[in-house]
Amino acid sequence: MTSKKTRIGLVPIGEVPQITSKSVAAHIIGYLDLDVDILPALDHPSYAHNRKRLQYDAGAILKAMESEPFHGHAKLIGVLDVDLYVPIFTHVFGEAKQGGRCALVSVHRLKKNTDGSSAPRSLQLERAAKVALHELGHLFDLHHCMDAKCLMHFSGDLVDLDKTPLYFCRYCSVFLGDALKKLAIVD
Amino acid sequence: MDKKTSIMIVDDEEIIRESFLHWFEKLGHRVEAASSGLEALEKLEKSPLEVLFVDIKMPGMDGIELLGKVKEEYPETIVVIITAYGSIETAVKAMKMGATDYLLKPFKPEQLSLVLEKIAHQRKLISEYEYVKGRLDEITRFDNIIGQSPPMQKVFDLIPEVAQSDSSVLLVGETGTGKELVAKAIHAKSDRSHLPFIAINCGAIPDTLLESELFGHQKGAFTGATHPRKGFIEVVSGGTLFLDEIGEISPKMQIDLLRVLEEKKITRIGDRQPMDVDFRLISATRRDLEKEVTERLFREDFFYRINVITIHIPPLRRRKGDIPLLVHHFLQKYSHETIKRVDRVSRDTMELLKSYDWPGNVRELENAIERAVVLSKSRTLGKGDFAFLRTAPSHVTKPRSLRDMEKSYVQQILEDCDWNVTKASKILAINRVTLHKMIKRLNLKRP
Repeated sequence: MTSKKTRIGLVPIGEVPQITSKSVAAHIIGYLDLDVDILPALDHPSYAHNRKRLQYDAGAILKAMESEPFHGHAKLIGVLDVDLYVPIFTHVFGEAKQGGRCALVSVHRLKKNTDGSSAPRSLQLERAAKVALHELGHLFDLHHCMDAKCLMHFSGDLVDLDKTPLYFCRYCSVFLGDALKKLAIVD
Repeated sequence: MDKKTSIMIVDDEEIIRESFLHWFEKLGHRVEAASSGLEALEKLEKSPLEVLFVDIKMPGMDGIELLGKVKEEYPETIVVIITAYGSIETAVKAMKMGATDYLLKPFKPEQLSLVLEKIAHQRKLISEYEYVKGRLDEITRFDNIIGQSPPMQKVFDLIPEVAQSDSSVLLVGETGTGKELVAKAIHAKSDRSHLPFIAINCGAIPDTLLESELFGHQKGAFTGATHPRKGFIEVVSGGTLFLDEIGEISPKMQIDLLRVLEEKKITRIGDRQPMDVDFRLISATRRDLEKEVTERLFREDFFYRINVITIHIPPLRRRKGDIPLLVHHFLQKYSHETIKRVDRVSRDTMELLKSYDWPGNVRELENAIERAVVLSKSRTLGKGDFAFLRTAPSHVTKPRSLRDMEKSYVQQILEDCDWNVTKASKILAINRVTLHKMIKRLNLKRP
């Protein structure tokens, strides 16, 4: 058994600007020291559209992703530009099952400011990176963190998300390190 | 909300339950789900839960009905109502019935975060309150004497009255009735409450040692007295001295104590110099000292000195109405101490506990509850948890006739005397001929 670097697969779903996928991938490589492959895009998830809510069911998209081949990737992260929801919430920025294999990041609500104006491109990319790293944290079995200065702290709205730093607190870093080591050995 | 909170989602829609489950898993909580009010109640019966998220619209028992039942049976459980069809009336009704919050589906993620913060705050307040209440109970102790029955009410009425005087008090009651608690309550309510309360069980200390314990000794007063030592009467200075089992002390010690009570002076063993002492004496006995005085087994002058005020503490079998109160009090105490959530007793078990005569009184009941809580695997104590009571010697047997009582008593005395009729007749205070006639009449036979 030899340990090797864990590979993450990044899947654009529907139409997503290339720079968004590249930026998210770069952040995962930079912050988590993992290899990331940007995979061919999947079709627009019209199957998950809810006509009453005019939104897309995150659970249904995750389910569809689970059925995709993983090609040696430990985790898959889907990036898309639709308004996501889970049944109890009005919206979500991203979604992942605790300890699961697939996560989603939606840039749909990250493009605006709270006053409705367009957010600068750099801020949009930073927000997408934060959501992606947060959801990846869940895939590596990290829980929400009480520390407001941690990526795993729950952000319910854009104001909270913008306040969240782009790093994990020292406890979450340790747990994440443990999870990554374990995964590398298993692989 | 802090980690490891136990939560249950009660909703008939699977998709909603799953959505909640995934969300709370991300927070690290222990989450369960129930698809109906009945299932929720069944799960609650098996294991306690701290927070419930309940949908209003469910087939069968709806959320409001479930809220009512939960608040009635498990008032400490926090309930948050969730609904897709909200109205102000239902929200007000739910809040009036004790719901902590009300959420309209779908809600913004930050709304759920706010509710969780509110719950965390509420739970913190509850635990702080429980802690402070526990500390107060420990300090005052008066609250630990549980009872609403008329005989106990008489005792409660007497305590503050007696506490205001400085007269000696004699507490009379069977073992385990809580004599020491009453003594502590009198002390706590008296002007001496800021001074020491010292309790001594006279029955547990040999007479020679009791003398040294009460009066103290000088260095070299007896073999082993290598240092001077203050006695309890000196140490209690200004406070209350509680002498339990006062009926057990020797006639010599009765004389010594009588002198102390009359002169308010003591002399350490081995010393010649008497010193002034000030204390309030509360004594307790389970024996009939008045009878012993008439039989000259207890000094009359000492008896009247310690018996300025008498308080009779009723045995538990004379105040069975207090048993449910006591049971709940001890359940709370031992659930807290053992960190096990055992907080209920089934109806038939309560009837069993009420029918038992508790010869060891409140102490026996407390021990029984402690044992049952420690060994119980469920949150509700059943009859099986008190199986040991049925084998214990008790008064729960059917009422017996005078003849049966007489027969078993005489048989017991004869066996104690190894069937020596002369010895037995002396104990029974009858002559030998009468005893022989009695043996024949009662058909008693040597085993």
